Amino acid sequence: MLTLKGITKIFRGHFLDSISRKRGLFTALDGLSFTLGEGEAVGLLGANGSGKTTSLRVIMGFTKADRGEVLFDSKLGPMGRDFRQNVGFLPERPYFYPDLTGRDFLCFMGALNGMSRKGIRKSIIEWSERFKIDFALDSKIKIYSKGMLQRIGLCSALLHNPKLLILDEPLSGLDPIGRKELKDAIREVNRQGKTVFFSTHIIQDVEEICEKVIFIEKGKLLYEGAIDKLMTSGESFYEFKISKRSVGKNFEWNGNTLELEDFLIITVSGEDRLAFLKKLIDKEIDIESIVPIRSSLEEIFYKVKNREGRICL
Amino acid sequence: MFVTCKDHKILTVAYYTFQALLKSRVLFHIILIGLLLLFISFVAGEFAFGIAERVVLDFGLGTLSLSTMAISILMGAGLISDEIESRTIYMTLSRPISRVSFLLGKSLGMGFLLISNVVISSSLTLGFYIYLGGELNPLIFWNILYTILEALICLFIVMLFSLVANKALSVIFTFFLYLSGHAVNDEFIEKFSLSSPMGFLLEKYHYLFPGFHKLNIKNFLLYQKDLEFNFLLKTLGYGFFYLLALVLLVCFVFERKDLD
Repeated sequence: MLTLKGITKIFRGHFLDSISRKRGLFTALDGLSFTLGEGEAVGLLGANGSGKTTSLRVIMGFTKADRGEVLFDSKLGPMGRDFRQNVGFLPERPYFYPDLTGRDFLCFMGALNGMSRKGIRKSIIEWSERFKIDFALDSKIKIYSKGMLQRIGLCSALLHNPKLLILDEPLSGLDPIGRKELKDAIREVNRQGKTVFFSTHIIQDVEEICEKVIFIEKGKLLYEGAIDKLMTSGESFYEFKISKRSVGKNFEWNGNTLELEDFLIITVSGEDRLAFLKKLIDKEIDIESIVPIRSSLEEIFYKVKNREGRICL
Repeated sequence: MFVTCKDHKILTVAYYTFQALLKSRVLFHIILIGLLLLFISFVAGEFAFGIAERVVLDFGLGTLSLSTMAISILMGAGLISDEIESRTIYMTLSRPISRVSFLLGKSLGMGFLLISNVVISSSLTLGFYIYLGGELNPLIFWNILYTILEALICLFIVMLFSLVANKALSVIFTFFLYLSGHAVNDEFIEKFSLSSPMGFLLEKYHYLFPGFHKLNIKNFLLYQKDLEFNFLLKTLGYGFFYLLALVLLVCFVFERKDLD
């Protein structure tokens, strides 16, 4: 659906810096290459300032790359020229024309996509109800909350039934209910066969929505592949919460133990978890819960990154 | 409410730009300013014994020119740069529309607003002028046409500056060019010897910068009442080609601008 080949983007500082070509240079993207397959849901992961937004801007043609090329599948338009006809885009923290109503704005976007009046009306009803923003369509956008802006933005991105949906931090700043609703909607859109590509720095969002992840740091590709492989790489740990009363005196285990009033919380490595579980069952110890300890983005970063900076699994 | 022009995306952008400007109550303020000017013209006319209608016309057309220019420069400075700053432009340019079409659509929408301002304010002025017994002269309409042209030139100058500098600087630069464009006229240049560096620079000034004084025919209108059609046409041609060159330059810069 989309291929990035060796994209390099260097931002220059002020005018004098750009003349001297020495000072004030900042490499936002450094030979970035990856591919999006048709129908995939792909997350673009990276810390703040890693080059996620710049990558999306280069893809959309808002910023020109200094080197490399973006190749679009012919399904997005002949020679990729009309790719925007088949792409839905939502920028990070979107702002819209404050004095237009939500309906006016969606009509405007639909008209730019060459949709018929009937098509726009139908699509507005469908998506505004889906994203629960239909009640505010006739209010001016300047009174919308952040969540409402995000919803109307997603409506506009999906209005013309695009084949590829590109979202820049779509879930940032939303409340838990809003996040869940949007995640469900993105999953549903992906199930309908649309390719979804979105950036985030929250690994949980990617885990819940995507099957593939692209990991970048300082504008360089660290990892591109299945998310399961990334998440299960490195050492994993489990927290066993067991009843204190059922534990006998002769129960011994080497591991981090936290003693609470009624319970013991024992942290066990992934390798030892089955042996530990067997021991608990043999000793007839009451198990309250077993919880896998989820690594944070940073932990996974440093756990699996080798000295050359590439992720090796 | 709908404008769906499959092959006329410039008009679609223009329509919604005008809609957004209308809904921001700019037109309401324009009407308010027009009525205020009418009142001031009336007061000024009362003090001008015997030539009240001429004072009203002078005052009305002068303030029409200034208010149109102020709207053009102050609102034009944010026409594209605000879209970039607020990232609204990403929503629009992620659609199948070229940057040039978008820019022309925004300018056209702004142009509609400027024309609305001219129509409202000049109607009030001319209505009052005729009420006081003034005669309609074709030069009045030429003057109004030149005011629109002048405002459009200022609009594209401020847009050009706003693509390479911040909003405040763009407004200052454009106001400076507007004032110097009126001040540096033939009489002013004659005061300097052409062999002096200042005289040389002033003589070459209008090769690059707009000669707004050429579009100001108010003195002819008020005192001579007549101008050759050929002169009027040449002036129109000058303004039109200057505007065209500016439009091409702004499109060129915008096409190559990184929207960071």
